[in-house]
Amino acid sequence: MSNIEDDIGQVMAGHDVEAPGAADLLRALEHASGPRRRRVRRYRAGWYLPLTAAAAVAAVAVGSAWAGGLLGGRQQAPATVHGGAGRVPRLSCPASYAGQAPWVPARPAGVDGRSRLVPQRTPSSALVCAYTGSNTANRQAGWALSGRRSLTGGLAGLAGQLTWQPRRRPGQPTACTLVGGKQTNYLIGLTYSGGGTIWVAATHDPNDCVSSSNGKFASFGVVGPRVSRAFASGRWPARQPVSCNRPGQDIGRLGQDTAMVPAGSTSLTICAPTARTLTSGYQTLVSALNSLPARPSTRSCSPTPRPSAPKYQLLFSYPQGPPVLVSIISGCHPEIDNLSLQSNSASSILPIIQQLLTPK
Amino acid sequence: MELDDVLTELVAHSGDRLLRVGYQLTHDRAAAQDLVQEALLRVYGSVRRRGRAPEDWYAYLRRAVINEYVRTRRLRSSTEVVTDMVPERPAAGCQEDRIADRAQLWAALGALSSRQRAVLVLRYYEGLADREIAALLGCREASVRSLASRGLAVMRQLAVPVGIAEEDRT
Repeated sequence: MSNIEDDIGQVMAGHDVEAPGAADLLRALEHASGPRRRRVRRYRAGWYLPLTAAAAVAAVAVGSAWAGGLLGGRQQAPATVHGGAGRVPRLSCPASYAGQAPWVPARPAGVDGRSRLVPQRTPSSALVCAYTGSNTANRQAGWALSGRRSLTGGLAGLAGQLTWQPRRRPGQPTACTLVGGKQTNYLIGLTYSGGGTIWVAATHDPNDCVSSSNGKFASFGVVGPRVSRAFASGRWPARQPVSCNRPGQDIGRLGQDTAMVPAGSTSLTICAPTARTLTSGYQTLVSALNSLPARPSTRSCSPTPRPSAPKYQLLFSYPQGPPVLVSIISGCHPEIDNLSLQSNSASSILPIIQQLLTPK
Repeated sequence: MELDDVLTELVAHSGDRLLRVGYQLTHDRAAAQDLVQEALLRVYGSVRRRGRAPEDWYAYLRRAVINEYVRTRRLRSSTEVVTDMVPERPAAGCQEDRIADRAQLWAALGALSSRQRAVLVLRYYEGLADREIAALLGCREASVRSLASRGLAVMRQLAVPVGIAEEDRT
């Protein structure tokens, strides 16, 4: 799918909350129904907000908010109602998003929420609650519920995508752009056969910079745009193949904080002046990357490399979940970074990449 | 007069979703509400007369909304003013332009013909396959592809979306 097609879906989803609600429609129909209905005269409210008005750039710090706000706000009325015979709980959306994003109304119950964002199995149901505001608003908590939707399809894909989200360690530095604009905080409520429930907080913000969390496990993966698409269509969107050029891809994978390239990758895309995808013959590169001494990433390097210095982005794909991105910037210290780990020198890696790029 | 329980149930069950589709088509709250209201009443009257309920109420109502939209747009099109002014394009590659670009894309959607817009809404908002869209619009799959392709071409001309490059994300 081309960029414009991606963007159209996102743009449409972004305007979702401007639509009128069923309550207004019911009121109008009350007047219009009957054997000889009359046309309802309606006054245009005139509150349509052009999105461009939100384009002002403001200094908004969103990157390090996860730990303080999480579960720190006042607790809502119970968002879980236990069903009867089936023992599958029914979830309902909290009336407001009580804390600063990411916030969840309850910790995982009956399922493991410590080792992954969501369990590695398909949920029985998925409810998406939307809370729309602005990242420039004075109040970053207490946003009112703006919409809710039960997902009717793609739940296996949802599990596959969310279960592999990369872990964000408390205090891990993040540099974010500071674009001001509309922000939608989502709560995804998942129920499982046997009675488990888990809430996941995910945010679609102009900077793609707010963490996701279930209350016990936080992730820096970018899932907000995908949740917006799911909210718009009612089904979790299908996974897209990795691309060297597509912005806003969900990149980063569980396990990349312990290995530069976690085990199990099935293809490698080398983003160089000409992109090349390999489905075999790149294990030497994986072994070489994983054997380098590594430390937690600061997500920065210095000094700025020369324009002519080699730069590569390596995208390792997996049968399920997001890919791992390893950036190599020769001449910038440290030279290798996967967003969770860094290694100093790419001198042993560059010849292997060159060899992989050489036509056979 | 009290609303029939069935109609109330339909609105409660599918109203929000239909209104969102209506808003994607019309870009106007009042028009979206009119559209869905008309479609609901048409379907309601038709089902009452026939005495048979459809299997998938939402799909049935969505078809009615789309048909109503295309029908009313066609009636209204003689009053619309066509302009040859293309919105100014943003400079590519600037992160701060992203939101403005999205607004431009939204505006560009509004410039499409009713059938082009219906196809794009069904494809990218409702997530339907071209085959399903063709069945819904009562045309051939090739026509759907052609409408989508022409609509996208117009969008590309009117709005050049610029996203945040991956390396700029962190």
